[in-house]
Amino acid sequence: MPTDTKRIRGPEVSQSLSRFICKPETTLPSDGTRADGRNRDQVDVRPVFVRCGLVSQAKGSAYIEAGNTKLICCVYGPKETERKDETDMKCGRLFADMRFAPFSCPERGSWIQGSQEKDLSLMVLESLQPAVCLHKYPRSQIDVNVMVLENNGSALAHAITCASLALADAGIEMYDLVLGCSIRQDGASYLIDPTFLEESGSYWASGENQGSLTVSFLPSLNQISGLQSDGEMGEGTLTAGVRTCIEGCYKLYPVIQQALVKAVRGAAPPPSES
Amino acid sequence: MATVQLSEAEKVYVLHGIRDDLRVDGRSCEDYRHMEIETDVVSNTDGSAKVTLGHTAVLVGIKAEMGKPRPAQPAEGYLEFFVDCSANATPEFEGRGGEELGTELTNTLYRVFNNKRSVDLASLCISPGEHCWLLYVDVLLLQCDGNLYDGISIAIKAALFNTKLPKVLISEGEEGGTEIELSDDPYDSVRLSVDNVPCIVTLCKVGPRHVVDATLQEKACSVASLIMAVTPAGTCTCMRKVGGGSLDPESFFEMTEAGRRVGRALHGPLMALLSQEEALGQKRQKVGFLG
Repeated sequence: MPTDTKRIRGPEVSQSLSRFICKPETTLPSDGTRADGRNRDQVDVRPVFVRCGLVSQAKGSAYIEAGNTKLICCVYGPKETERKDETDMKCGRLFADMRFAPFSCPERGSWIQGSQEKDLSLMVLESLQPAVCLHKYPRSQIDVNVMVLENNGSALAHAITCASLALADAGIEMYDLVLGCSIRQDGASYLIDPTFLEESGSYWASGENQGSLTVSFLPSLNQISGLQSDGEMGEGTLTAGVRTCIEGCYKLYPVIQQALVKAVRGAAPPPSES
Repeated sequence: MATVQLSEAEKVYVLHGIRDDLRVDGRSCEDYRHMEIETDVVSNTDGSAKVTLGHTAVLVGIKAEMGKPRPAQPAEGYLEFFVDCSANATPEFEGRGGEELGTELTNTLYRVFNNKRSVDLASLCISPGEHCWLLYVDVLLLQCDGNLYDGISIAIKAALFNTKLPKVLISEGEEGGTEIELSDDPYDSVRLSVDNVPCIVTLCKVGPRHVVDATLQEKACSVASLIMAVTPAGTCTCMRKVGGGSLDPESFFEMTEAGRRVGRALHGPLMALLSQEEALGQKRQKVGFLG
């Protein structure tokens, strides 16, 4: 008896086709160019497309596309807080929710938020919190909803960038934009802004320094607002990775700024000189 | 998270103390509180440990069950973590209050062990694709006084050290299938290697400096902390920033270095203590929960 009767469900147990496909190459090619033409060991982030204000009902919204990773983010609020029992009423509260659409990954996910999504939501929240002037919004809450439409790697990093852009589009007072960047460490070399295949491929391969790292960064304040690493890495590799991610964030910065300026111009066209 | 309320004056006092490398309880910035470890505290588990760190008390029980390996890793067993924040620790955890913190801690533990070398998962495999050991690592918070991550990771390491899996024999059954035979002798067991199991070190940024093993008071003064899971070899299996603040890249690099140093120094005495306790054997006097 399926527990969730509201939606059409397949059989109790089903498996994705990808389990039965024999994978041609499980290890990443160790040198030279990557599958999408970018180079290893270079701060070669995927070109991004960003746009603000797509969702008319939301206070602010943003869409980001990097390769085939596509995300949409909406910001609602500031509105009166739902939880009245909170003792600290001098500050506003930020809520972040990140979800993957069930069809966003190669294997179908569930509509119900899993623990991985909860973990990512927390990471998005902690990355955004230092940038938002929450003391300006007493007794109110701001909701940030991120939906991953298509996941082709580095979803968390782009979610953070997209969410900060949506916050800015909503007119929430912020100290700075938050930019996210991730790398996949593969032995001695790194792959910046990895695709889904690069992210997951040979993760359990033997060898040192296999892991991934996501950093969120406030570029004009020069502060790291969020950091998460996975896998096993030496300290030197890790610090080098953080530096690389920061460099990657700086590459993204002008694009995001430009998108924001464009959105502001669109919302309030300058008075015509007549 | 269980928190305490501090007045501004108290915060200033704590901050100034830490600036001068002297904390409220007399420790310096990289000192741990008094730690007590006892293994084999719950008889119904396959491995258990209780760790008290100041007034933080954590109980870990490991139950082994036989299951089917995951399709993606047919020749490996796996670990399942669950952290329960019981209302014993603080009334805030009553009902669903502890759920958020519990999920956060659980997810971090999955991350810490999400690599090939922390636990030799291949040794948990009984027959590839068919049977494997599934270790349920259940963590219970009995008391909260800051620094839950470190306490939990130390307790998990001690409990994994204490875990004894019964030997299993696989033989061909009469009708072609396989037969599983469990050894009758309770002493005929397999131990897990904990040589690469990491310990978590939490560094709290308080003012310009960072402290290890922060109490709740110190945590209330800090805006951001860094969690690092450090293996005895000095590699880092998980790192994340927690808390609502941000960190300067320079101080971040300082903190990772300190974390690695503290983490590596933690493993030696811990392993010595565990093997010392093990050597006492049956005649060891159990302290239990009233110690």
